[in-house]
Amino acid sequence: MRSFAAYNPFVLTVYFFAVSGFAMFSMHPAVTCISLLGAVLLRLTRGGVSLRGSMLLLGFFLLTALINPLVSHHGATVLFVLNDNPVTLESLIYGIFASASMLSILCWFGSFSRMMTRDKLLYVCGRLSPKLALVLSMAMRYVALLGQQARKTAQAQKALGLYKEDSLYDKLRGGIRIFSVLLTWALENGITTADSMAARGYGIGKRTHFAIFRFTRADGALLAAIVLCTALTLSGAGALSHSFYPYFTVSASTPLAVCSLISYAILAILPLCIDGKEAIRWHSSLSRM
Amino acid sequence: MAQLTLSHVSFTYPQTERAAVCDVSCSIGRGEFVAICGATGSGKSSLLRLLKRELTPLGTLSGEIRFMGTELAALSNADAAAKIGFVLQRPEQQIVTDKVWHELAFGLENLHIPQEIIARRIAEMASWFGISQWFDRDVSTLSGGQKQLLNLAAVMVMQPDILILDEPTAQLDPIAAVDFLNTLRRLCTEFSLTILIAEHRLEDVVPLCDRLLIMEDGALLHDGAPRDIIAKLRQKPEILCAMPAAARLHCALELPAPCPLTVREGRDMLETRYCNTVRALPQNTPVRNNAAALTFRDVYFRYGRHEPDVVSGLSLEVHEGEIFCILGGNGSGKSTALQLAARLQKPHAGDIRVFGKRLKDYKNQSLYNGCLAMLPQDVQTVFLRNTVAEELAEMPEVQLPFDLRHLYSKHPYDLSGGEQQLCALAKVLAQQPQLLLLDEPTKGLDAHTKQKFTAILRALQAQGMTIVIVTHDTELAADCADRCALFFRGNVVSVDAPRKFFAESSFYTTAVSRMTRQFFDNAVTVEDAAALCRRNQRRDLRDRDCQ
Repeated sequence: MRSFAAYNPFVLTVYFFAVSGFAMFSMHPAVTCISLLGAVLLRLTRGGVSLRGSMLLLGFFLLTALINPLVSHHGATVLFVLNDNPVTLESLIYGIFASASMLSILCWFGSFSRMMTRDKLLYVCGRLSPKLALVLSMAMRYVALLGQQARKTAQAQKALGLYKEDSLYDKLRGGIRIFSVLLTWALENGITTADSMAARGYGIGKRTHFAIFRFTRADGALLAAIVLCTALTLSGAGALSHSFYPYFTVSASTPLAVCSLISYAILAILPLCIDGKEAIRWHSSLSRM
Repeated sequence: MAQLTLSHVSFTYPQTERAAVCDVSCSIGRGEFVAICGATGSGKSSLLRLLKRELTPLGTLSGEIRFMGTELAALSNADAAAKIGFVLQRPEQQIVTDKVWHELAFGLENLHIPQEIIARRIAEMASWFGISQWFDRDVSTLSGGQKQLLNLAAVMVMQPDILILDEPTAQLDPIAAVDFLNTLRRLCTEFSLTILIAEHRLEDVVPLCDRLLIMEDGALLHDGAPRDIIAKLRQKPEILCAMPAAARLHCALELPAPCPLTVREGRDMLETRYCNTVRALPQNTPVRNNAAALTFRDVYFRYGRHEPDVVSGLSLEVHEGEIFCILGGNGSGKSTALQLAARLQKPHAGDIRVFGKRLKDYKNQSLYNGCLAMLPQDVQTVFLRNTVAEELAEMPEVQLPFDLRHLYSKHPYDLSGGEQQLCALAKVLAQQPQLLLLDEPTKGLDAHTKQKFTAILRALQAQGMTIVIVTHDTELAADCADRCALFFRGNVVSVDAPRKFFAESSFYTTAVSRMTRQFFDNAVTVEDAAALCRRNQRRDLRDRDCQ
């Protein structure tokens, strides 16, 4: 029993690429609607969403939706004329769907970055290339270390009266001096790190890639479900057709197209189902306690 | 069976005449806890590095080093890496990866050990060291003590037979250092792990160790049980001054063997050998009623809006011309208070005055020119240039109470800890401050350098400088402070002259004070205790005369 975010990071990565990738490449209105619904619901249920962030997203949605009819004048149905330019229904509809598609992708990536913490990303990299994973891990360690040292150095120099902040020129000069001494510092301290690596046998031969994430049977099942849904979605994708100009038409009447849309919908609400199931289980186990 | 044997080992660095390690022979058995001590530059680090093949510096080596009967060079790569563990001085720079669990696994990954075994070994080690609570954390969020414990655990997962440590507690505060050393002692007794440690914080190490090696100028001067060795050190004050307080008192009084090592043994020595008819030294603490050099009035500070107050309601007055020591635990806000005084952080409420003038009334750089200067904890942050001469050339020239000319051509990073400290101090003093703020100035210094440093502080005080020191080092405070303050939860809980201050605290105090409690009054340094002993009659001699 675990939440969607607790599944193997590799499975999560595959999921997010599949679900957002299809939304990115298909402008079919039904696909956009499904993607938006799934992404927004996931964003709302996962918690940790600030009101300000949501308002910003909504503002972005409205802005991009309204800009299109003002700029593009294609389409057959003229709503009204603004400054001698016709504003058309089709152009408005296109604006709304394009903006909805972008919004859904933003929401998918937002959830992805919240679920995929740094160590999960490293784990996924490590499955592709263990060497890259180690280098990234060391780099992240050094970024933290250098930032800390830069702050400390700036303060020490300021208290010595050497680091003036009176003008932009002074700030720039001070910054350059600190940057150059940080390079020396990094090289000098890199020697200690290198010693510590050598002392623990780095470079004597083949390495294991150790990770604290396990690939369980449940991960396998979820991965299979994701792959199946994606395959079904893609296989029917050719049957989906739509056009915005000159008239807005949507067709998804063939069985293949319907099948494609249904499997995409399943894919989009998969995290919600898993989290919902978990919430119900917790609830029932709590009421028994 | 001897685990490690050295026979006639000598080592010379390239392009130098003098040997860094000179004809050292000794053998170390399984499960021994061996401490190596000697002044900075006596060759202890070089010797330790010769014992770890991967860290052996470039140079010419003669003699023979055998590990479990095999010559060091003939060991397989995996054995050389795993069987001989090595922990270095700087906790921060030894850590390779960004997560605690990854750091633990790093050594085993290198040995190409299967995943399941790694998982098991790091789980075991994390439980033993009590680090399972921070198993998932970023290493950058750990404290210095936790980092060094992680380094030790990361070596221990490789299941070494011998552990070599090069000044592992130099960068730790005293409480974390004692924790670390006790962990080593446990490893030694519970797993019969051989431990070879170079240290200068000998107060805590000597009572723990089975054997003491003393090095001087690259040669092994003494080798034997600590009590026997210390008796031979009376002619070497620069090495003796690093020994535990009880042993130093024993030597100062020129008493016969056995030499006490711990506070308890020291107390036994006092009680059996001396009367306490004269309980206290005549005190002549000058009462200073000088103007205030630094004043805090109801100062509050926190790092973020939702974080707790680090400094809360601090009120404090430091008088002109005094040395004022601030003591207190980690995270009690004492370093932050110093940063507030140096205007590196701004308080949310309250008033800070330097020489009666509010901090914000010092316009531009006037606060830092001839008024106030701060020496940070990490002195490497002071250096910006490639040589000491260049470092000092960018500052105005002033008369210093110490000489640095022999270091002028060196890179600041190549200096020893003590030399770096002095060089940084020289740079700070070039602004001719009236108020000097020092953050942990004796961290990582050996005992002899510390004595020199104390003398320099006194010389600066004689020139009229006011000095505020934030420190964990009770010995330093007892030696040179005019007043001491105890910090707790962002505020000062007591301020007193050192004798009274240390006599009243039972934990935050010097070893001598703990040793002489309720036997003598107000004795806080070895000199105090020795002077008191000399004024009193020898109990053991009197008893003998009566018979």
